[in-house]
Amino acid sequence: MSLFTMKNVRKTFAHGEVKEEILKGIDVTLPEGKITALTGASGSGKSTLLTIAAGLQTASDGQISFEQQELTSMRSEELRQIRAKQFGFIFQFAHLVPFLTVEEQLALMLETAESSLSKQEQKKEIRQVLELVDMWKRKNAYPPSLSGGEKQRVAVARAIIHSPKVLFADEPTASLDSKRSQEVMRLIQRLSKERHITVLMVTHDMDMLDYVDHVIEMRDGKIIQEDSIH
Amino acid sequence: MKMAWKEMKKNKLRYTILGSIVFLISLLTFIISGLTNGLSQDNASLIKNLPDGTFYMEEEADETYSFSSLSEEQQQEITEAQPEAAFFSIQMGNFIDTSDKQRSVAYIAATNSSYYPQVNFGEVILDASLEEEGIAVGDEITNEQWDQPLTVAGFVNHEKFSHSAAAFINPDDFQALFHTDTMQIAFVADSVAQNSNEATAFKELQAFSNSEFLNTIPSYSAEQLSLNMIVIFLLVISGMLFAIFFYMINVQKLGIYGILKAIGVKTGKLFQMMWAQMFIISVISLILSALISQAFQLLAPGGMPFHLTWPATGQLSLVFIIIGFIGATLSGIQIKRVEPMQAIQQGEM
Repeated sequence: MSLFTMKNVRKTFAHGEVKEEILKGIDVTLPEGKITALTGASGSGKSTLLTIAAGLQTASDGQISFEQQELTSMRSEELRQIRAKQFGFIFQFAHLVPFLTVEEQLALMLETAESSLSKQEQKKEIRQVLELVDMWKRKNAYPPSLSGGEKQRVAVARAIIHSPKVLFADEPTASLDSKRSQEVMRLIQRLSKERHITVLMVTHDMDMLDYVDHVIEMRDGKIIQEDSIH
Repeated sequence: MKMAWKEMKKNKLRYTILGSIVFLISLLTFIISGLTNGLSQDNASLIKNLPDGTFYMEEEADETYSFSSLSEEQQQEITEAQPEAAFFSIQMGNFIDTSDKQRSVAYIAATNSSYYPQVNFGEVILDASLEEEGIAVGDEITNEQWDQPLTVAGFVNHEKFSHSAAAFINPDDFQALFHTDTMQIAFVADSVAQNSNEATAFKELQAFSNSEFLNTIPSYSAEQLSLNMIVIFLLVISGMLFAIFFYMINVQKLGIYGILKAIGVKTGKLFQMMWAQMFIISVISLILSALISQAFQLLAPGGMPFHLTWPATGQLSLVFIIIGFIGATLSGIQIKRVEPMQAIQQGEM
């Protein structure tokens, strides 16, 4: 049984009496511990698919299962707990909490995930993860004083500090220059391998496909091609 | 709590403005409340200083003490049932002091009473406010209609009635000055009453509790109602201010709330953060307001009717916190409604 699967997922938006089907019956199985990229033109439905998979919005129809639990039939509190404990998120922008230091952003995530680690162990884990993303020396900095690349590295650290099983990344490099983009992708690749994290990532940047294991191409709400690269 | 405090520290100006407004409104409320209580004392401290008990007036007086007249037989009947009953009469009037200045007072004569000073024949004991106005012990006060002057024998603190200083005189003087040989009101304190569970009923007499009796004083209830309405409006306005300010602050933070919800932070935790901020702002503002209003009480001119006790300040502060809590919670409905997707699509905060 796979860690994360989607079957016949559909999403319809209604604009008055006009209904628009954004996702037209998607079937996806994420390879465990690998990075899967969702690609396609703008409006193909890839970001909608990612946010539905992550439980940030609901599907109109279909089934999404994670560790044999049906996400589509869960109550919002159960879904929140899965998001907090089992999922990690990286968005196009870092979306850090502006009044918390780098170290506190990670501590908040551990608290949200109801980490079983002791305070001492949490501090150790935060240090380890911040060193991994090369941000330990900036642990006391507030987001407004960080560069775009630094912010995104903190966002990556926040997304993995609680050891999630699935990491959802929506165009994580879109706001970065190519050098910073490659740095962030190398980091996600390394973390996925070292921590055995399954990654579902939306990207429109073909250069980023060098770092992924599996590619799903979408067009007009459908999967048109699926390839394993490595 | 920690997150709430951290955010306030990072946005000092925003929260200082909110705190300043809460401080000003609460100070205004405390001052108005002090004046309300002060006027209440000024109007009726003679009655308010009495312990809880039951007042009796003639039924025919139609709840107007000046029309009440308790006959010898009625006084006898009351005394037999309640040996500790006190009798007193009040008459608004005036006198001319040694500097020929006319002054309004409330004359009070009481019998068998430990609540009011016992006065010798030919003497008068005045409220201390008249001492501050230059009247001294030994002065003789007169009235055009009196045959004999009265000598000031002393002063008592905080004894006023119908915004006039109390003038305690001997019951025999009262009879001579106001041509009456009866008392208007009987009073039985609960602490000394026989069968204190319920007030004794007497034929042709109407019984009043302390607060009911206060409301028979002309203008008392109308005056208090007006002032209390001002205090209530200020409290409601402060609640609305909390709601409006937190609404504006929350609108600015919807992006952060959305992202926090996306990563799994409980909505309840976000509410706790807002409540903690409301509580911190309120407590700091209320402490400052309470200290300033108490300082005002000490420094206010003697003639200004201002009376604000610490328990009253504490009660008002509690009401402020409850109203602030309601206001902030109403504004926080947006937090519940915010969708993580909105924040993600909004872009960088």
